[in-house]
Amino acid sequence: MSMLLTKRLMRSLWRTKLRLFAVIMMVTIGVFAGITFGMYANVVTDMYEDTYLDDEDGVNLPDIWVKNPGGTWNETTSENLCQLVEDEWSSDILELENCESRLILPGLMYHENESMSAIWHGIDEGNIDRVWFPEHECCSGRLAEAANEIVIDYHVAKGLEIKLNDVVSLGAGFGKIDYNVVGIGLHSNHFYFADQGSIIPADVGTFATGYLSAEGLEKLANVSPGTSNTLLIDVKGTPAYDLLSTPENEGPELESLVENLTVSFSLQDGISVVIHDRSGQESVEFLRADVEGAKLTYPYVTGMIAVVAGVTIFLSLQRLIQSQAKEIAVLRTLGVPRTSIMQGYILAPLVIGGIGSLIGALLGWYVGGPGMLDFYSEIIGIPIVLDTASNSIITENVMIAMVIVFLSGIRPAWQASRLQPLEVFRGQNEVRISSRTIQKLTAKLPATLGLTIRSSIRKPIRLAFTFLALGLSMVLFGTMVMLMGSMEDIFGANNDYDAQVFIPLEGEDEVINWAQENGADYELVLQYPGSPEGDNRQFLIYGLDKIETKDSQLSMMGVNLKDGDLPIINSAMTQVLIDEGTSVFLDWEVGDQEIIMLGSTPLKVEVSGITKGEMQRTIYFHRADLSQIVNMNATSVLLSFSEGVVINSDLEDLSIGISTTEDIKKSMDTLLEQQQGILFAMNGLGLLIAFAVLFNTLVMNIAERDFELSTLRVLGAPMNKLGIMLLGEHLFIGIVGGIIACLASVFMATMMVESMVQWAFYFTIEPTLLHILTIGGIVVGMAVALTPLGMWRIYKMNLVEKIKDLSQ
Amino acid sequence: MSLIEIKDLKRHYEMTSETVKALDGINLTIEEGERVILLGPSGSGKTTLLNCISALDVPTDGKYIFAGKEVPRDKSEQMTTFRRENIGYVFQFFNLLQDLTVLENILLIQELADGKDQDRALKLLKLVGLEAETNRFPAEISGGQQQRVAIARSIAKKPRLLLGDELTGNLDTETSTRVMKTLVSACESEKITAIFVTHDESLIQFATRVIRIDSGKIISDEKVA
Repeated sequence: MSMLLTKRLMRSLWRTKLRLFAVIMMVTIGVFAGITFGMYANVVTDMYEDTYLDDEDGVNLPDIWVKNPGGTWNETTSENLCQLVEDEWSSDILELENCESRLILPGLMYHENESMSAIWHGIDEGNIDRVWFPEHECCSGRLAEAANEIVIDYHVAKGLEIKLNDVVSLGAGFGKIDYNVVGIGLHSNHFYFADQGSIIPADVGTFATGYLSAEGLEKLANVSPGTSNTLLIDVKGTPAYDLLSTPENEGPELESLVENLTVSFSLQDGISVVIHDRSGQESVEFLRADVEGAKLTYPYVTGMIAVVAGVTIFLSLQRLIQSQAKEIAVLRTLGVPRTSIMQGYILAPLVIGGIGSLIGALLGWYVGGPGMLDFYSEIIGIPIVLDTASNSIITENVMIAMVIVFLSGIRPAWQASRLQPLEVFRGQNEVRISSRTIQKLTAKLPATLGLTIRSSIRKPIRLAFTFLALGLSMVLFGTMVMLMGSMEDIFGANNDYDAQVFIPLEGEDEVINWAQENGADYELVLQYPGSPEGDNRQFLIYGLDKIETKDSQLSMMGVNLKDGDLPIINSAMTQVLIDEGTSVFLDWEVGDQEIIMLGSTPLKVEVSGITKGEMQRTIYFHRADLSQIVNMNATSVLLSFSEGVVINSDLEDLSIGISTTEDIKKSMDTLLEQQQGILFAMNGLGLLIAFAVLFNTLVMNIAERDFELSTLRVLGAPMNKLGIMLLGEHLFIGIVGGIIACLASVFMATMMVESMVQWAFYFTIEPTLLHILTIGGIVVGMAVALTPLGMWRIYKMNLVEKIKDLSQ
Repeated sequence: MSLIEIKDLKRHYEMTSETVKALDGINLTIEEGERVILLGPSGSGKTTLLNCISALDVPTDGKYIFAGKEVPRDKSEQMTTFRRENIGYVFQFFNLLQDLTVLENILLIQELADGKDQDRALKLLKLVGLEAETNRFPAEISGGQQQRVAIARSIAKKPRLLLGDELTGNLDTETSTRVMKTLVSACESEKITAIFVTHDESLIQFATRVIRIDSGKIISDEKVA
């Protein structure tokens, strides 16, 4: 290929610097975003895998959890149950490594005259699910050995500035006890640091966790030595388990083992347990699902932005070829072969893609990726202890971008090489008129309006590509706008109570007395774990005093009823409400009769209605119905305070944890605040790309109409009339583009959410009129805002030069 | 009062190494109703003179009076208004808008000048012999017919002066003659003064006056009718 031909093409491209930079920027953004998300997904996945390992550095994450949902086991029962696990071990392939009992209790932590709800772990042997002290500045010290020692979770220590050797006051329903802080570490149950039953990361001072010696927690909870409520079972190696996010069963062997153990436990008198593998462990599953979502998403993000860049390259090259048609025709007449012409136009997008990819890769690897990991670390609160990412992320993302930009150059290159010199010299290649149908449809309109419409849709393929690119680029913005809206709906603390007081077994009367003495309204809540029959996945089951809709404000914990009716108390068959996610994942509908496992107890229920807005899979019972089955009255009391009433030490002493609506709101506000930066950045990015796409097309439209517009200017057309024509054209493109952007955003956002949602978190996107108006309005606004630019270009036209062009 | 009075008009272009004197002291008076042909070799300055007369280009020096008033030369919109109100323009390559029908091409100019008059547009098409082609698109008619549409378009807003730059340069001899006859007829019936730039000596027969230019200066000026 001739160097001179390449040089000619490069100089031509350089003449359209702004467009060139815009396209390079799009490729850069695509690769940057892909590498940023990819690095985050890969590093975090590797980090979790390393962390969970059964080696010296790992925490030795259990493979099976056996939990007592209704109380505790004494030492003998705990030992017997571990023996039962060993005796009833049904797998020949999977080998039991260890069974360890543990006491994990809710409680309170007192800090500077404030209390916060807490989870305390009493660790005896500590071979399984160890406290994690990574080699990182986050963590230090040692495990708690004595009865007055504690390891405080890193999240809490950081937030409350607790250091080694400090003294902290804890409670678990039996008064306060001081403990010496001997370590600051992390625990697999609380990597994702959220209060019990919540999915929002806890804000500073609203939730605490700590790891005591078994003796230490027994003292705090006033229970006998050896008491436990959880069995941690470790299988040799790391057996595969069924991932909730996939339709396949990755761990049939482990699943069968869990099922057999469930049967064995159910045959024991007075023993009701919930058994699950890693997929049922909320913190573990939530983080896994999060990174899996990122892993699935990042190639699409790169691909989507690269497609937008590809479309822009395609359109720009087409325009370039059109403007260079005469040059190409001359070259062809002089005998330059087609292949030589073609090569240049194929090379151009590769160079553009190469430059964009290089910049994107450097920025993604050195800025975006580390920045994203820092951001993740800040939100989740886990130090990133692994800082190596595979550079295959770079290869993968650059390849995606390069393939797309290469493909975008093929057709323009082919078109350039096929230009017929004679047609070009006769000007026939430039004759482009709108379709007959459009001409007929607009025949009755004033000529100016008719011309506006016809010229707007003169090039339907370009317009279609523009709308495609615009739709895709607005998807980023639209999805973010709708996600933010949905997040606020889901996380919004819209409960009608002020505090949820968690109580020890049969401890509700004392709290009710406190409420009556202090003029507070109350409702009892019974929370209990459950699962579908023959299924590892966990429900959050609520037994409520009053099941009412949120709108009615008749219950402190109202529901958003989507379908069906509220359940009737004491029905022949127990009626329940299920959340939308449960309905989707289990295919349960209103009127269905299904079996729910409450611990080891199966219960046939009728689905009376479906609720929406719950992120976790939730089932609502009338408390009276649930209470009869699980033989528990309540696990917490909802309190609504009249003015002047506050939580005091009397109430704290009666409770094993208090979660206030104010704390939830505070956590929500912090989460939104933390995410605002990245959401705004994503929104800005989407808008910037959409603007670049629109700018490119509208400028090309005007450039192509130089002939028309200069003719009209020479003939004396005033700027204001041309401005109105241009405005009409931009308005038309803006409105159609806006509609397409809205449709694409809703469609893509729904698809994205559908692919992201899992058992652990489910939500839907419901576009509102405000969302639609925002997305559409922005596109229309951008298109209209470009009108002055077009007018400026017309105003600045050198008519003398144009007249020369028109005469050649 | 003369329609055009030009005194010592200059248009110089500053190049890197020299000053190109495209017009170098033109003095010219044109009366209403004249049909002037500007003849000269390539680069003689005839198109530049036409551009200055139409207020597309700004003279470097000199005076240009149109119908007793100095022609604006500083503000683009005032120059555009001058063209809209006074000038009709016929291009060599017709420059019809391909998306508009023959009739719409004329109506568009009227709309832009706030003087939409469909009857007049139809009358003009009849005048140029294209009353049967009103609803056809430019691509559907011949080059000669397109140029006649361009003539009708150029006089649609009743200009006082009609300008044409090599307006038959893209047509064969027979068509050129027909187009020029149409033009003469239109100018006479509409009482329009006309100035045409051409290389083609055979067009002299359609003019009332011939001005020859070379090196930016008028070298001869003679009445022919």
